[in-house]
Formats: sequence, C-alpha cells, structure tokens
Amino acid sequence: MTLSPLSRKLTAEDAAHFLRRTAFGATDDQIRALAGKDARSVARAALAFDQSLTPKNPFDPMQGAGPGASIQLTRGAWLYEMVYGAWPLREKLALTWSNHFVIGTDKVRNAPALTGYLGALRRHAAAPSFERFTLEVAQLPAMLRYLDNDQNRKGKPNENFSRELLELFTTGIGHYTEDDVREGARALTGWTFTGGRGNTQYLVEPKFANQTGQHDAGRKTYLGQSGAFTGEDIVRLATAHPNTALFVSRKLHRAFLSDTPDEAAVLGSAETWRRTGGNVGAVLEELLSSEAFYASRARIIRSPVEYIVGALRTLGQPTFDAKTLLNLTQTAGRMGQLLLEPDTVKGWDGGREWINDSTLLLRLQVAAGLTLTSKAPNLTEPPSLLALTGQERPAAAVLLSSLKGRQRTYLSMISPEFQLA
Amino acid sequence: MTNRRDFLKLSALAVAATSGMPGFLARAATQAGGKKTLVVIQLTGGNDGLNTLIPYSNGAYYAARPNIAIPKKDVLTLTGDLGMHPALKPLMGLWDSGDLAWMENVGYPNPNRSHFASMAIWHTADPTQAQAEGWIGRLAEQIGDPFCASNVGGSTPQALRAGDFSLPSIESVDNFQLKLPSGMDTPFQSLLNSPRTGEAAYLTRATRQMLKNTARVQENAKKYKAGATYPQTRFAGQLKETARLIAAGVGQRVLYVSLGGFDTHAGQRAEQDELLSTLAEGLAAFYADLEKQGVAGDVVVMGFSEFGRRVAENGSAGTDHGKGSVMFALGQGVKGGIHGSSPDLEKLSEGDIIYKQDFRGVYAEALTKWLGLNAREILGGTFSGPSWLA
Repeated sequence: MTLSPLSRKLTAEDAAHFLRRTAFGATDDQIRALAGKDARSVARAALAFDQSLTPKNPFDPMQGAGPGASIQLTRGAWLYEMVYGAWPLREKLALTWSNHFVIGTDKVRNAPALTGYLGALRRHAAAPSFERFTLEVAQLPAMLRYLDNDQNRKGKPNENFSRELLELFTTGIGHYTEDDVREGARALTGWTFTGGRGNTQYLVEPKFANQTGQHDAGRKTYLGQSGAFTGEDIVRLATAHPNTALFVSRKLHRAFLSDTPDEAAVLGSAETWRRTGGNVGAVLEELLSSEAFYASRARIIRSPVEYIVGALRTLGQPTFDAKTLLNLTQTAGRMGQLLLEPDTVKGWDGGREWINDSTLLLRLQVAAGLTLTSKAPNLTEPPSLLALTGQERPAAAVLLSSLKGRQRTYLSMISPEFQLA
Repeated sequence: MTNRRDFLKLSALAVAATSGMPGFLARAATQAGGKKTLVVIQLTGGNDGLNTLIPYSNGAYYAARPNIAIPKKDVLTLTGDLGMHPALKPLMGLWDSGDLAWMENVGYPNPNRSHFASMAIWHTADPTQAQAEGWIGRLAEQIGDPFCASNVGGSTPQALRAGDFSLPSIESVDNFQLKLPSGMDTPFQSLLNSPRTGEAAYLTRATRQMLKNTARVQENAKKYKAGATYPQTRFAGQLKETARLIAAGVGQRVLYVSLGGFDTHAGQRAEQDELLSTLAEGLAAFYADLEKQGVAGDVVVMGFSEFGRRVAENGSAGTDHGKGSVMFALGQGVKGGIHGSSPDLEKLSEGDIIYKQDFRGVYAEALTKWLGLNAREILGGTFSGPSWLA
C-alpha cells in the first residue's frame, strides 16, 4: 500500500501546513506563494536543497576560547542556519537526524567533530542511501567517541555502539539478540579515530582510522548470517534488515506527520523504503506530497527549537544580535531541547513529553520576549492569523482580531494552535 | 501585573469547572492530606551497583575487575563483607545513625539490557512493558490529586505519566509562576476557552493545570528559609528546590529527582567517582536542610537505577550493560542496614548477577508503609520486599 498523492492544488491552508512542517513556519507572503501549486512539485522543490551555508553566520566554532565556548558557538551557528538559512527543510531534517543518530556534547567536546557531524547530517538529510548514511555516521569521530567504539578493540570488546546501532539506529528493539550485540561489537573492533582528544585539542580535527591490527577478523554470526564480518558488513546487514525500513519510516512520520503515527501510513513509507533500497529522499518526497500528510493537521507538538525557530520565521526572520540568539539556544535547552545534547542516546521522545508546567511557562516567556518587550523586533506588519495558526479562521479568530498587532501576535504565539504543527 | 493574583484565582476556578478532564483531575482530593513525602532519586544510565556497595571480601569481585575494582583500603566499611564507594563518604553519618539502608540484588524477571526498555520497566512497574502509565501516575490517580506528585527538573519522566496527563515538572520554585502582562488576563482566559480537540485540547488542559499548580506553589513558597549550603551542582540545586517544596507544605506526597550520566562503558572510575560524589554531597546537604526545616522525620528518600553493569570490566576500563543492582533509602523512617543478600559472583547469568529481590517489592513497602496507599492497585499485583522502613 503506497501513500496516495494529494490530487488538489494547494490551498492557502495547505501551504501554511506544508511550511509549518517543513520550514518551521513562514510569513504570509511565503505561504501565498505556494498556494495554487501542485503538491508533488512543492515537495520536490523543498527537497532540492544544496549544501550551501548562510554566508553571514556570526558564529564560528573555531573561534571558541575553550571546548565549552566552541560548543556554544556550534549551537549558535546551527540555530542561525535554521532561522536565516535558505534551506529550512535541510535543517529540519538535520534536527530530525540528530535525534536519530544521537551524539552528545557531554562526551563530544571537539569543534571539528561536531561540525563534521552536522555536515554529515545535512549531506545525507534526504540522501539516496540510508546504508551509506549509517556507515558514514558510524565512522564519524563524534559517534566513535560518543558511543565508545574508539575503544572497541580485538579481544577487548566494547558493546556500546553495537547495541545502539541495532536498538536505536536500524532494526529497533525486539529484532535482534544479545548475541547479535556481542558479535556486532567484534565486527566493529578496530574502528577508531586519531587526533583531537582532550581539552587542549578541541580545535584539532580528529580523523577516522581503521586499525586493522585491532580488528577481530574471526567468523561471526550476525542477524542470522555468518562470515568474517567487518564493520561495513554489519552496518549493511543492520540497515538491510526488514524492520529497519519500518523503524526509521516511523521516525520520519513522527517528524513530519503526527506525534502518534498511523501504522498503515508508516507501512506505506516502509514499502517505498524497501522498494528503493532505503532511498530517504524518495520516501520523503512521497510522504510530503501525500494525502495523509495534508490530512494530518495540528498533530505535532512543536519542539522547543521548532517553537523558537518557527516564531522567528513567522515574524519574517527579524535581525537579532548574536548574544540574543545564543541565549535562545540556552532557552531551548531549559525548555527541554539543548541542541546536540539530548538527555540520553535515545534522543528526545517529543510529543506530549515537551509539555509540562515549567516548559509551558517558558514558552509564554519566549513569546512575550519576541513580541512585547523592548527587545522585540519592530514589525511593519504583524503576521497574519494564517501564518500564526495555520488556519484562516481559527476558533479564536474573533478574539484575536479584536487585539492590536503586538498583543495579537503574543496571544497567538501562546495559543495551542501556534504550538502545534 | 497588579491583576495577577486575581487572574490566578480566576483560572483556578476555571480549572475546577472544566469538563473533559481525566476523572481523577476533576475529583476533589480526598486522600491528599498525608504529611509524609517520598523522594525518588533516579540514577540514569545504569549505575554500577558492585562499585557502589562493594563486596570487598569477595575475591571474585577483584578477579573480574583488575582495573576498576575499588581497592579494599579505599572502601568505606559497613559490614564484614560490604562497604561503600569512597565517594559516598558524605553519607557515612546517616549510616552510623541507622538512617541509611541498602537493598541488595534488586531486579525483575527477564531483565532487559536496553537503557530505555529497562527504565520504562522501572517507571511503569511492569516488566512486560504493556503499560504506558507510570507507577507514580497511578498513585496520583489513587490519591485523586493531580498535584500530589511532581518531578523536580526539566522533563517529566514516564513514572509520572497518568492516563491522559503528565504530573507537573518544576524546574525552579521562583520561576514557577506566570507573569502575564496587564490587560491580557481576560483575553488569555477567552483564548483558553475556545473549543478544541486532539492535541490542541491537550495543550489547553495542560495550560489550565499549569495555572492552578503555579498558584498553589506560590501561595506557600515563602515559608522556606535556606537551611543548608548545597554544592554547586544541578542535582543539588534540584534537591534544594525539593526541600523548598516540602518545607512549604505545598502538598506533594512524591517528589522525583534525576541524576544522569551513569553509562560508564569506558574509563568508569573517573566518571562514576564524580557522579557518586555529586549524589552523596547533594543528599547530605538535602538531609541537613530537612533537619533544619524540622521536616526530616516526614521524608524518606528512595534511589534506583535501571540496571547495574556487567560483573567483569570490559577492555576500556569500563563496564557494559548488566542486570540487577542495588537500591538505597535514607531518612529517619528508614530501617538502616543491608537488606537482602549479596549476589553470587561465581554463579552468573550471561556475565550478570542473578537478581533475588523484585523492585516492585521495594516500591510496595514505600507505598504501603510510608504513604499508606494500596500498593496492589498501583503495582498491579502483590509484591513483598524487604522491610526497609521502620
């Protein structure tokens, strides 16, 4: 069962919905520009991103006075790209993948390793091969360090990466045994990196190294197959496992369709995944032009970063000084989403988990800061209700229309409608 | 801002009148009057129980861990066979006064080595992983008060999830209040009153509940006067907020605090040493504070981790995921000492200890004896444990 494509031309509300999900949010003009277009071509255009970065980014991780400062600058640079970059879908995907192939700055404190990690997420964001994506991630110094595979040596296995490769990155739990974890660890022995270790080397670029002398070349049995497997082999076997298509498709549905995915629709994407050999771009293009996508409104609770970036993009990308942008990355952290630092290797669960008393209070404060305080950007024209709520006539339209610009924007931004995508 | 108090009062009324709220949230709090508080400490990442409560007389322990075992000379001796990690020194006073208990060999059937599956089992008290509600969420339903349990920290753990609702998370008492610009009260109320369905309705409900909860905390928060010097760690800061909430008598029966980072696959000694220091220094300050506030007798702390670690160290001077571990409890209400028996380190299951005590028995003791609740209803069965409460 493949996902059926949307047959109608996009309405203004369709366009607003598409941009809430794929661009964090948008202005009224950006929404109107998509109205009347065909869903497939809109999805294709959004996915046709290149790897260029915004030239005027004020944050350079290589300028950090220490590892902690460099991490802050990396976060700032990423937020800047999300808010001001030309390819919001690429950044939304990078954010999604950072919550799949999780690393954390508690262990990865090297600036080039973090930048390299983000670069890989962007390059493979909608790439034709999930296998190559996974292989590249598995050999990134950031990942080797985060999940300790740099310490995985012949006769001295370290199971950390091997376990998470199966549990979190590919098949999901229930589709492998403890023996697979152990055998996978043996196959991955020898993969490490050189350079960039320790607090003083935080600006030195670490390099992947395959230390064949540390590799256990013996025979292994992994996911039902036997051979003298290498790390490449087990990444191939894990990504080709039938449940990987389902497991990763479900994550994409959580990112783009609903906090509680519809399993029939997930199956549709998994079929496309298998048919195309794990072509993420093909799965996404079908997903983002499907009827199921356009039928699922207001089903995703925006994450803290999505909330903040969404607000700034809806306000038309107003200019902020660098310090304010850095503060916003910290605020997102206090709301539960510090970039590059999920609580655990599983990543953020999202959905209703984003919401509790403390985080709701912070959302109200952020909205006030962006609309009512002296630091709030001066807008010639406040965003339309369509841009703020995704609806031309939301339930609270009468109430909101009776308020003046700034107050209307503030109240809209703390409404459930704005907090959802 | 002058209208804030009125605004909060108004919103409290609005909450009480709301329909469509899960049953227990709309019910009057009938059993919430108890004075006793249970503080749950979660050590996230799988704390190595063998290097926490150390079987220092056991040769098999030292044989399995040539690099990371705690040398006998460094162990804080508790009994002829067991002692604490040296970083736990700040807790020695509690041990000496009989207010610190260790539960040995705690686990559950068919142990799971995934952090997340195992943590979910501890959170839901359901080793089959069929339940989505947390054990504290179910406790809140039994008490009938959506504010009877709170997490202190950023995000609410699954343990505090109840049916269609999460119990509150309080990051800091001072910031736990709504400052709405003047003139916005009425429009905000109207906004919340717009009819909604699905996730939008959930967000409306959560916002209303937040208004009620913040009002309750702020009414009482000033009763606390700092009583101890806390270390400069996030964990200790959260314990201080916990002490404030208890001293303020806001009405929570359960408070939940987490300390993460116990996934010590490599270079374990340095990492775990620091974490256990953070734990012990934080708890010692917390306990001193409770004594100053005059509420130490009303508080019991119970700590756990989702699993222990493999008996043998790995090739990176760390340990991989294991099964079964130790739990701890402290407070004047606790029966100090060691409860249960140490694991047999020469008879293992896949390199892991074989658990003897089901953690639900440990929970049951707290629920029944400390909080006076029906443990069977909350845990979905009858579990007996060591009698670690006096």
